[in-house]
Amino acid sequence: MATYAFLLDLARCIGCQACVVACKTGNELPLGTKYITISERTQGTFPNLQGGFQNHRCYHCTDASCVAVCPTGALFKEDGLTRMDRAKCSGCTYCVDACPFGVPVMVDGISTKCDACTAVVKAGGQPWCVKTCPSHALMYGERDQILAEAQARVESIKARYPNAQVYGEKEAGGLGVVVVLPDSPEVVDLPVDPQPKLLVTGWQKAVQPLTLGLTSLSVIVTGIAAVIARRNHMQELKTLHQAETAGSEKAGEE
Amino acid sequence: MSTQVQTAPPRKILRYRVAPRINHAVLATSFILLLITGLILLWSPVSFLAAGGRSGVLHRLGAVLFMLVPILYLIDDRRGAKELLWDSFHYDKDDVAWLKHILQYFMGRTANMPPQGRLNAGQKFHHASVVIVSAFIVVSGLVLWFAKGSLGADGLAMTATVHDISMLILTVLLVGHLYFTFVYKALPGMTTGYIPEEEARLEHSKWVDSLPDEAPYKVNE
Amino acid sequence: MARVELQITRRNFLKTAFAGGGGMALAGREIGRAVANGLTKLGTPPAWFHQGEIKTTYNYCDMCPWKCGIVVQTVGDRVRKIDGNPLDPKSRGMLCARGQGGVSFVYDPDRLRAPMVRTGERGAGKFQEITWNDAFDQIAEKLQAVAAQYGPESVAILGHTTGDFWFTDYFAQAWGTPNAGKPSATLCTSPRDEAALLTTGVAIGGHEPMDWDAMRCIVLMGSHIGEDTRNTVMQDFMNAWGNGAKVIVIDPRFSSAAAKADYWLPIKPGTDTALLLAWINVLIAENLYNREYVEQWTEGFEQLAAHVQEFTPEWAAAITELDPELIRTTARVIAEAAPAAAIMPGRHTTWYGNDTQRMRAAYIINTLAGAWGNEGGLYFNKSPYLEAYPHPPFAITGSAGGCSAEPGAETAELPAGPSGKIRADGARTKFLRGATAIQELIEPMITGEPYPIKALIVYGVNLLNSIPNPERTLEALKKLDLVVVIDVLPQEHVAWADYVLPEASYLERYDELSAVAYKTPFIQVREPAIAPMYDTKPGWWMARELGMRVGLEKYFAWETIEEYLNTRLMSIGSNLEKMHEAKGVVIQKGKPYLADFNGASPFGTPSGKIQLFSDELAVAKLGGLPEYEPTAEPPEGYFRLTYGRQPVHTFAKTQNTPVLNEITPENEVWINEDVANGLGIRHGDRVWLENEAGTRTGPVKVKSTQRIRPDLVFLAHGFGSVAPGLSRANGKGASDARLMSQYKLDPISGGAGMRINFVRLVKEA
Repeated sequence: MATYAFLLDLARCIGCQACVVACKTGNELPLGTKYITISERTQGTFPNLQGGFQNHRCYHCTDASCVAVCPTGALFKEDGLTRMDRAKCSGCTYCVDACPFGVPVMVDGISTKCDACTAVVKAGGQPWCVKTCPSHALMYGERDQILAEAQARVESIKARYPNAQVYGEKEAGGLGVVVVLPDSPEVVDLPVDPQPKLLVTGWQKAVQPLTLGLTSLSVIVTGIAAVIARRNHMQELKTLHQAETAGSEKAGEE
Repeated sequence: MSTQVQTAPPRKILRYRVAPRINHAVLATSFILLLITGLILLWSPVSFLAAGGRSGVLHRLGAVLFMLVPILYLIDDRRGAKELLWDSFHYDKDDVAWLKHILQYFMGRTANMPPQGRLNAGQKFHHASVVIVSAFIVVSGLVLWFAKGSLGADGLAMTATVHDISMLILTVLLVGHLYFTFVYKALPGMTTGYIPEEEARLEHSKWVDSLPDEAPYKVNE
Repeated sequence: MARVELQITRRNFLKTAFAGGGGMALAGREIGRAVANGLTKLGTPPAWFHQGEIKTTYNYCDMCPWKCGIVVQTVGDRVRKIDGNPLDPKSRGMLCARGQGGVSFVYDPDRLRAPMVRTGERGAGKFQEITWNDAFDQIAEKLQAVAAQYGPESVAILGHTTGDFWFTDYFAQAWGTPNAGKPSATLCTSPRDEAALLTTGVAIGGHEPMDWDAMRCIVLMGSHIGEDTRNTVMQDFMNAWGNGAKVIVIDPRFSSAAAKADYWLPIKPGTDTALLLAWINVLIAENLYNREYVEQWTEGFEQLAAHVQEFTPEWAAAITELDPELIRTTARVIAEAAPAAAIMPGRHTTWYGNDTQRMRAAYIINTLAGAWGNEGGLYFNKSPYLEAYPHPPFAITGSAGGCSAEPGAETAELPAGPSGKIRADGARTKFLRGATAIQELIEPMITGEPYPIKALIVYGVNLLNSIPNPERTLEALKKLDLVVVIDVLPQEHVAWADYVLPEASYLERYDELSAVAYKTPFIQVREPAIAPMYDTKPGWWMARELGMRVGLEKYFAWETIEEYLNTRLMSIGSNLEKMHEAKGVVIQKGKPYLADFNGASPFGTPSGKIQLFSDELAVAKLGGLPEYEPTAEPPEGYFRLTYGRQPVHTFAKTQNTPVLNEITPENEVWINEDVANGLGIRHGDRVWLENEAGTRTGPVKVKSTQRIRPDLVFLAHGFGSVAPGLSRANGKGASDARLMSQYKLDPISGGAGMRINFVRLVKEA
């Protein structure tokens, strides 16, 4: 099955915020909620400057920590993207803490992040941000093609940006947002190695089944034992009663 | 001359006064509430019940009640609390012998068990475990409640793991607790406060002997 | 439809689940979910496009004056989404942040809801509601009183944004006042258009004719694409950049565009002409210009060559504070790419009062590069064929115009009104040419010279935040007999109206057709997506109602707007229905290149040649060739105030739009980090800005950054409104307009040079 991905070309992004507002209006996000945050980056001192923008959003990790820690299955992977069933969210905020990119935020007690425009894409459209991007910094499509496009774009901007690189090919199992970086990831505050921690994934994968398993086991074992043990105890009480009765009779006889 | 006792009408022994019964009820209620609202997060077929965070609110309510128990003891049964704690952490040679035969006791046989005081060694061990593990679950729970934002992914996973494993131990202890209550028909002690003397003697002969031979400790049925 | 369907699905599902024993577990889960959803009211509603039948209407955006073609999707009676029209040559299916925020603009709860008449002092903002009928009766009576006493020319009409045609053009001409003005001319584009008319005889028009697709070198002079978020320009610029075109940015600030540049020239403000003259010097001295093109299409080259001989890169370096080698290198980069190279004409070019000459210098470079009419350079715009509505002859001809300047050459006579008066803005005396100088219409309101202006109709112009010297504007407002304000929002100047007429927004009305002069000329239609909200009315209706009451019935012979539009569309064999079927836009063939003219001259100068040396300016003693004219330096402790755009707001219009306000609720004052540190001011501090006259605005957040030269501060325009009716924008940030206590009139174009104000930062008390 094909997996899908976004292309985010930060060399091209000109910081116009069109994607931010298109996302808000297309998804009818309430005031105070946004899935994309654009921030200006500057390196160097006047007049020897370099600059650009970070276009911060859900990176749709293949090995998604948020999915790993989500207790209710509200966050899940589908088509290579990290989708969300808001109705299932318990508001536990584990995803907020587990995300290596600091993406999900709590709004009205519900975890909130980009769901890759699930409804739009399923209705045959393009994600709102991609559809409106005037600088062609965003694309959406099958991940293989997006990755190839990203690599081609990096090659084409090497003359302007010698440190240009693709980010997200392998990171966190491969990102669903393949980023064309003009410079090193740190410049736009992206973690160099956003791999999910064993403890984070292990918690859901090991500790929780263990908990359930051992609890169930103890219930089963004691359930069976209880029948026998109770009978034994009743037998013991009966014996005791008989002894007592026998004793009283004996005493009565005396 | 034991015949005197035997000819007397059957008696009941005061097992739990009102205060510990209230405290136990609060503890039991809060724990069940915590357990249900906690377990639904782990069992995905019912995890939708957690949607919207209502179960989270109930869980916090349960947590407050749970943490109230020691305070209740301080207020309504300071001596009992002291006694309970002291007993739970002190084991004599009868206790050790008792623990050696625990499997018999587990299977409902008390005949060859060494004589026990107010708490048998199993109960002591149970109480001690509850106290220690509760400390872990309360601390990890408070951290998850109030300091989650500053934990980071690793800290969160670690704290949640501590919380989960503590929950696992307490749940297994609860299963055992319910098991013995069922096997030894011990529920009346918590509901009425009294248990039949003959059953008390089976398990806590040292304690029954130490009780004054008068109301309210020993009453006729 | 979709919602009903979902409900049925669920009910059926439950029924089946209960019927089959095997389904019990599932049913239980389903019930549990329903209970949980009911409890928490969290059921995620289906996406809006699944909530019912979608009605699509075509429109052109009004969130800025660029007019991108849009597709508006409405479900029920609510507009849900606006997207770029994929067929529209300007939007091509995309939109900027502001265009995307249109829905939020329309549903801004702060909108004006009913016509109102003033009850308190003018400016106090006290009003009471009035019927439309009464409002128009009273306004008509007062307009006629002014006309009777002073003549119809004493009514000034100012307009901006996409519906202004009905007032500044149609009503003004029918009524007979030459004093109709738009800020888009002398507060914005006049210098670049007058320079173009003087040099090539072809106005730049609304859309800078950059032939982006084939461009190899782009020079931006103060144009800050990316902060100025005109959709098409961003698309074209980034595509050209992606195609490897060299980008040269002249800007004292490291703008978003400068960050994309191959060469950034952090020029000293006010010295651009020196740089341009040095570039001309290099192009000629190093023989890098297009000799063939110059010989065929220009006149005055010898004079130019002699003129620039002394303007070496070294000479310019001392003035501009740029490296002379960088000046040489960039000139060569332009020459190498020529003719696929051009200095972008830009829009807001009213900077220092000598702006037409600066623009002429830029156009001379474009000429030496052979850019005009060559592929990859600057194409020729063509207006679409579309007949005007067949109205009787107007009382005065010559409309206010938009960005393209009218009435043209000095030799053309200025049109006079019915009582024989020409414009009151000082055209031909204070300045040589150009469209109505909106800022010069304020003075006659105060002084009565050359004749009094006694009544003012303002359509969509944010008077106090667009016209410099707002204190003078306030003084003028107090002296008028009648002030009528038509707007969608309770902007700052609305408080000064006698009558407030609330307009239906662009999604609620038909409007005049948008005929766009472009490489491929095209016509856009505006269809209402929803009925006018509250008690609001479209501008065309207001103009007509007013016209009918002041004896102008013959100009408003059409009963409905549909009739008016269909009459016009008939000339291109279309009508509203066909326009809808064509998805809102009709594209015609252009004539973009020299080759399309078959040897004839496309240049509109008297000689048909590009005037490197301007005879007209020489005769008027305004300089046949551009010269560098120094501008005043900021006094000790003061910084030059520059201003511009940031991405999500248009002028002072959209700051209150909820979704846009959320992204950028206030502006920041940019200051060089090292300078700020010296002043003990930190990034994020709040300061007041105070100009030399002691006028203050703020408090405003400090953006302490390496991205700006030490001798200036920068402020995004349009913030700092004092308008209590704007619940989100009121008092947020600082107003650049308030700090413009002075401006310098460009003697050629009538443009108001506004970058001559100096401010200091005062720490918040």
